[in-house]
Amino acid sequence: MHIEVESRLQKLSEMLAQSWRLARSPRMRAILRVQQEACDAMRAYLKSEHFFELLPPIIGPVTDPGIRGAKQVTIDYYGREYKIMSSAILYKQAAVSGLGRIFFMSPNIRLEPLDSALTGRHLTEFVQLDLEIANATYYDAMKVAENLLCTAIDTVRDVCAKELEMLGRSLPSFKPPFRKMTYDETVESLARHGVKLRYGVEVPWEAEHFLSKLMGEPFFIIDYPRGARGFYDREDDERPGILRDFDLLYPEGYGEAASGAEREYRHEKVLARMRESGEDPRKYEWYLKMLKEGITPSAGFGIGIERLTRYLCGLETVVEARLFPKVAGIYSP
Amino acid sequence: MWWFTIESLFSRAFSKALLGIVGLSSFFEDLREAWSSYPYKEIIRRARKGVDAVYPQGRFWPALMAVKGAAVVEQPRRFATLDDILLLPPAFTPLRLKKMSEILREPNYTDVDLGTEFGGFRASMPLMVASMGSVQVANSVSLEIAKAAGRLGVPMGVGENVATMWGYSKRIRSNQPCFKERVMTYLEATEGGVGGIVIQQSVEDAYNELWNLVYSDPDVEPYIEKGAVGFEVKIGQGAKPGLGGEAMVPLKEAERLRDKYHIPEVSEMEGGGYVTRHSAPGTYTPDILRGMVRMMRNNYPRCRLWIKLGPFRDLPQVLRILLEERVDAVWIDGKEGGTGMSPLASMKHLGLPLLAALCSIVEFLANRESGTSLLAAGRLYDGGHLVKCLCLGLDGMVVGRPMVISAWAAGARGVENYVRTVEVEAKMLISALGKYSVKELGPEDLGCLDQELAERLRIRYVYG
Repeated sequence: MHIEVESRLQKLSEMLAQSWRLARSPRMRAILRVQQEACDAMRAYLKSEHFFELLPPIIGPVTDPGIRGAKQVTIDYYGREYKIMSSAILYKQAAVSGLGRIFFMSPNIRLEPLDSALTGRHLTEFVQLDLEIANATYYDAMKVAENLLCTAIDTVRDVCAKELEMLGRSLPSFKPPFRKMTYDETVESLARHGVKLRYGVEVPWEAEHFLSKLMGEPFFIIDYPRGARGFYDREDDERPGILRDFDLLYPEGYGEAASGAEREYRHEKVLARMRESGEDPRKYEWYLKMLKEGITPSAGFGIGIERLTRYLCGLETVVEARLFPKVAGIYSP
Repeated sequence: MWWFTIESLFSRAFSKALLGIVGLSSFFEDLREAWSSYPYKEIIRRARKGVDAVYPQGRFWPALMAVKGAAVVEQPRRFATLDDILLLPPAFTPLRLKKMSEILREPNYTDVDLGTEFGGFRASMPLMVASMGSVQVANSVSLEIAKAAGRLGVPMGVGENVATMWGYSKRIRSNQPCFKERVMTYLEATEGGVGGIVIQQSVEDAYNELWNLVYSDPDVEPYIEKGAVGFEVKIGQGAKPGLGGEAMVPLKEAERLRDKYHIPEVSEMEGGGYVTRHSAPGTYTPDILRGMVRMMRNNYPRCRLWIKLGPFRDLPQVLRILLEERVDAVWIDGKEGGTGMSPLASMKHLGLPLLAALCSIVEFLANRESGTSLLAAGRLYDGGHLVKCLCLGLDGMVVGRPMVISAWAAGARGVENYVRTVEVEAKMLISALGKYSVKELGPEDLGCLDQELAERLRIRYVYG
């Protein structure tokens, strides 16, 4: 088993070491065409829904800590420590107060744990369409997510027939609303299939893959327990311990598409939740000051472009879904 | 006026001399107090002589020491300790018979098997090296300790602030080992998957995301994969429950650290180019604690989860949550516990002595269904302490100071010597109880010198 992992890693390293060659292949051209059409369609849809597209921030004193064990990148900023965005979540909350509906095409860096190299789902550098809606519930956000995904799928199916044929991919048509399973139901359903999960623990990659294979269409897992997510996912006041959040998953074993939530905007709640995630509040000085001043409640999500591309094109791994991919532990251009 | 000048000169010289004598005497007083406050001599002897130190041989009159008998334990104290409990061997020893049928000869103390598992690690004996932090006295000898502990197959902790103070993988000061040296020295010394390392993260280390750094470090990765790495949350410390880590740092380091620690402004600074660096104790509520445990499980699923607890009055409530959340290990540090640097007032006035802390969680010790290991620390240093801990229902004993003293006395060899003495003593005592493995020990092996304490601990009263 170990030898097999080693040899797969070796093969991947060799391919990535010459990643410039990938840009010349017709297959990559087809994949990138699909990606471009999907992004254009999503942009157009959001514009029609009165969203502002903002230029994404790349660095700042703090970034998103809710990244499941991945490491942030720290840079020296004139003698102080700055982070490269692992996600622009904190800035989304800052921007949405004035602008109402916003999104970024946000490049993010997360130094994922080394065991993520062969999951087929993790890149250390990736782009997400990251959006936020003022005065919205997580159900509102899920509605946007459904429409966004359907728009991308329908457009690609219509416009990129040639490319899809070349990639050997056929895309079905889905009709929102998608099925919503609570975290509790998910744990039960997994248990019925013999996958045991301790309550409070994130649905692991393998279990997510398993569920995603079982489903014939995209679906949501909602209401994660507290402790599973970042400090900014809002806890339900009526149901303590339950977060008003969701993951959107692709069918066919492609796993997580998007992750979102209603946001906690009360600074005292955020402080306690920061402690839960072992964070030093001193680091989040600007953010906490902003919350104390008061911000508009909001909900939003981020959808990974490479993972979307992987699904649309039916690719084996997300590594194929962009040029110059970076994978945990592999040194490549 | 000449007489006035001479007189004043004389008196100045006189008072200077007087002050000198006072200074000198207080220096010696400090030394005497420090020396008499902890069994340094005994531990140094163990470190230097190894297993020979198990017997009370004096340097000059071995025969005289040999007649000392049982009067070796009397010390003035403020509170009861494990020394108020005795081990009570029985004459009838059915488990010895069982052992005999296994090995086909009369069992000896060397037949006792101390091998065990706790906190998700395999260990050669139920001993753990406490997570000592960045304070120089411990950090300077940390590599000796790591080397010895790794070789011995004894799990070890690395305390807070090491990476922030002395660097993660590169030394900030040439004479102070950095964080990763401590970790890798230990891990590379381990053999056959016995042992494990747990890494504490203080509030300030969290600023640098220490755990994430470790979790994605290619050098540590193989050991994470083997399950030999744990992360530890420190909720207080024996000698200073409720206070965060404190340390003296050179003035020139102060500015570098000011972003992350509370350091008094320059006007408050005094004392030989050093300044006190305070770290935060961290804020906890039941919700925060539960959330933190879950966050750690989610973020670092391949790491063991350890909690260090100070001697707090609400230990049972804290422990209940931790057992429900099924952390891998909890260790409780009594107020007699060691300290890198603690305010006098905290050592004098704050917190429960270890035995009192254990009294408060006796229900948990009696009923050990959960998968969580429980360990204790606080001035525990010999084989007797270890065996008593096990009889009380704990999974092991945690030692800090003896490791530091042994390392200062005789390097890595000293640490190995010291641990061997604890091992031999523990084996002797366990075999005396007619038992041959750690799991066989229980409260029936103990007797207490104090009646109320005996009742509270649910063990027999020796005079009863």
